Amino acid sequence: MTRFDDLYTEADTFLHRLDPRVKIFSVLLLSLLAFVLSHLLSLILLLSFIFLLLLLARARYSKTLFALKFVLRFMALIAVLWPIFDPSGTPVLARLGPVTITEPAIWRGITSAVRVGCLATVWYILMFTTSQRDLVRALVKLGLRFDFGLTLAIALRFFPAFGSVMESIIDAQRARGMEFEKGGVLTRSRRYVAVLGPAIVTALRTADTLSLALESRAYGARKDRTYLRDLRMSGGDYVALSIAIALLVVPAVARFAFEVPI
Amino acid sequence: MTPGGEPGESVVTVDGVSFSYEGGFEALVGVSMRVRRGEYIAIAGGNGSGKTTLAKHINGLLHPSVGRVTTCGMRTDETSVANLARKVGYVFQNPDHQLFCTTVEEEVRFGLENMDFEESESAPKAQAAMELVDIVALRDRPPFTLSLGDRRKVTIASVLAAEPEILVLDEPTTGLDHHDSEHLMSTLRALNRSGRTIVLISHDMRLVAEHVDRAVLMAAGRILVDADVGAVFSDLELLREAKLVAPPITQVAHRLAPLGVSPSTFTPSQLVQQIEVLRGGGG
Amino acid sequence: MASGSSGEQGGKEPTGGAGFVSPKTVALYGVLTALTAAITFVTFVPFAPTKGYFNMGDSMVFFSAFAFGWRAGAICGGVGSAAADVLLGSGYFAPYTLVAKGSEGLVAGLIDRSGNGKRWIRIIAISVGGACMVATYFLSELYLLDVGWGAAIAEVPGNIIQVIVGGTVGSLLAWYVRKAYPTRSRA
Repeated sequence: MTRFDDLYTEADTFLHRLDPRVKIFSVLLLSLLAFVLSHLLSLILLLSFIFLLLLLARARYSKTLFALKFVLRFMALIAVLWPIFDPSGTPVLARLGPVTITEPAIWRGITSAVRVGCLATVWYILMFTTSQRDLVRALVKLGLRFDFGLTLAIALRFFPAFGSVMESIIDAQRARGMEFEKGGVLTRSRRYVAVLGPAIVTALRTADTLSLALESRAYGARKDRTYLRDLRMSGGDYVALSIAIALLVVPAVARFAFEVPI
Repeated sequence: MTPGGEPGESVVTVDGVSFSYEGGFEALVGVSMRVRRGEYIAIAGGNGSGKTTLAKHINGLLHPSVGRVTTCGMRTDETSVANLARKVGYVFQNPDHQLFCTTVEEEVRFGLENMDFEESESAPKAQAAMELVDIVALRDRPPFTLSLGDRRKVTIASVLAAEPEILVLDEPTTGLDHHDSEHLMSTLRALNRSGRTIVLISHDMRLVAEHVDRAVLMAAGRILVDADVGAVFSDLELLREAKLVAPPITQVAHRLAPLGVSPSTFTPSQLVQQIEVLRGGGG
Repeated sequence: MASGSSGEQGGKEPTGGAGFVSPKTVALYGVLTALTAAITFVTFVPFAPTKGYFNMGDSMVFFSAFAFGWRAGAICGGVGSAAADVLLGSGYFAPYTLVAKGSEGLVAGLIDRSGNGKRWIRIIAISVGGACMVATYFLSELYLLDVGWGAAIAEVPGNIIQVIVGGTVGSLLAWYVRKAYPTRSRA
């Protein structure tokens, strides 16, 4: 079931070693940077920077491609539809009935598409280099209640298993002659129940066993749960965080305080 | 309910099939085999040997990357799974992955509805299928409240209702106790006697040895051997290669070989018979 | 032992602040969240020409809200759908999804609670909850992601169909699970 592979890839790069909290903040800061930048060129620069980081994180080609598939579609949709709905600016390139296509609108569409590309890919840096366990631990360290963190950890733990269960159910119903594409809304709804019903019952059975396991392992015995390996910021983490902050603050000040068009 | 056609004619032909999953894992490598009408065969192998992948090619759930599969005269890559479902009943390993109706009878009729049978036709077909596996008494019960053995029977009835020519069962005795397991196997034997072709997917060699006529042993996506069970179980080396363990009786027979016991012994009664003959000969 | 099993009474702990929810609730919410994510993921990948094409994730949001209440609808629906976005590589969508699907489950669950299973109340619950989802996506794509009117509008019809099918299937599932798996009562 390679499809339910974690996006995370084991490796030993500086991005893997970075404190997950620093990575979360850096991703948020770089996302904000994508909104601060308004020029196509500077956004392309940011996108290249993100891809450089992905390269340094030794992101696997197949995983990047899988993740990019959905984003690229959305980017294409934005770039194609933007000029159709935005008649402002000159020169006008074409008029088709009520639709006016202008050159600046085309550039604005491409700019927005590239920005969405930046927002999407910057997440990969976090997801490709941080294990789910570290991610949940970082969120708990950042103030997420432990029981919510545990709920999240359980969700991530069971996601691939339920993915396979879903595929198995879909196969089992197809083997009984069920066709997804056939019929009206009502017959289709019944078909969805044929797939989701067994999945839910399987999940509820899992939940019953799981709650027993949690109880028997003294879940909730202490409110301040301790960890074997605590998260601790190192010098390198502070340097990385400072760089990320500078990357946002410098362009933001340049644009908003000194009105540099970037 | 007896399917038509000549016995002995090939109903499944797998011809030079290779298959890789998304992500590149090669699950089948150059597999060729055939199943004849009325046969009772097992596809056996350890975890990851490709036995389930091969079985899913029979009803078109998977299409070969290389080669071709023909089931009941239809190329599986040119026919819909729904169409093949009329010919091949596929019973999945975990009954909880397919039961969803609120009564057993509804569940048994679900496949028939998919195949657009009229109410007047589907009712007697469902009745006959429930009779075959002996669950008529459970017809109004919610399937989820039944025991695992009964749930498995419901899934078998639900594919039998469409009167398929071939019945494929993936590890049907998983989680069943000895009694339920034997009961299920005798039901399958009876179905086979009434003319149905049965393909059993299993890693349980005792089950294969005692119930099946022919076994296809698989390992690492390849067929190691395709022969009568007697021949398969006389070769312990081969079984080891397939990461399988010979049934205890066969292991005992191998050790008793110097005394004159045949190494292709695989049921208790065969062993007893041979020992009796040997003792009779000696005294 | 006294403090060990914090959730004997089930459901939310009455104590404010540091009180943990019961292990039953943690297990149930965790598993429903995983299933929501898995269903969104599996039913999204094979078809899906664009983001927002029909997937069965909304059925799970409505199911959670109708079968286990507004908290389950909000948390499992919101977090599960957002997690699917992250796992599908569309992490930038996750915050909007969290709000869109979370509010869908929360609002649908809250309205439905007052209806005692009356059909027209449930229809209102689906409509208002669904409207929250559609509006959140539309407004956040338009004003926060700045994708332009074209791309934002392009998603609306698909999202509305998802609400209609998801609401219908979600209600069917809630009814079905109570019948097929009766040991699990309404939380």
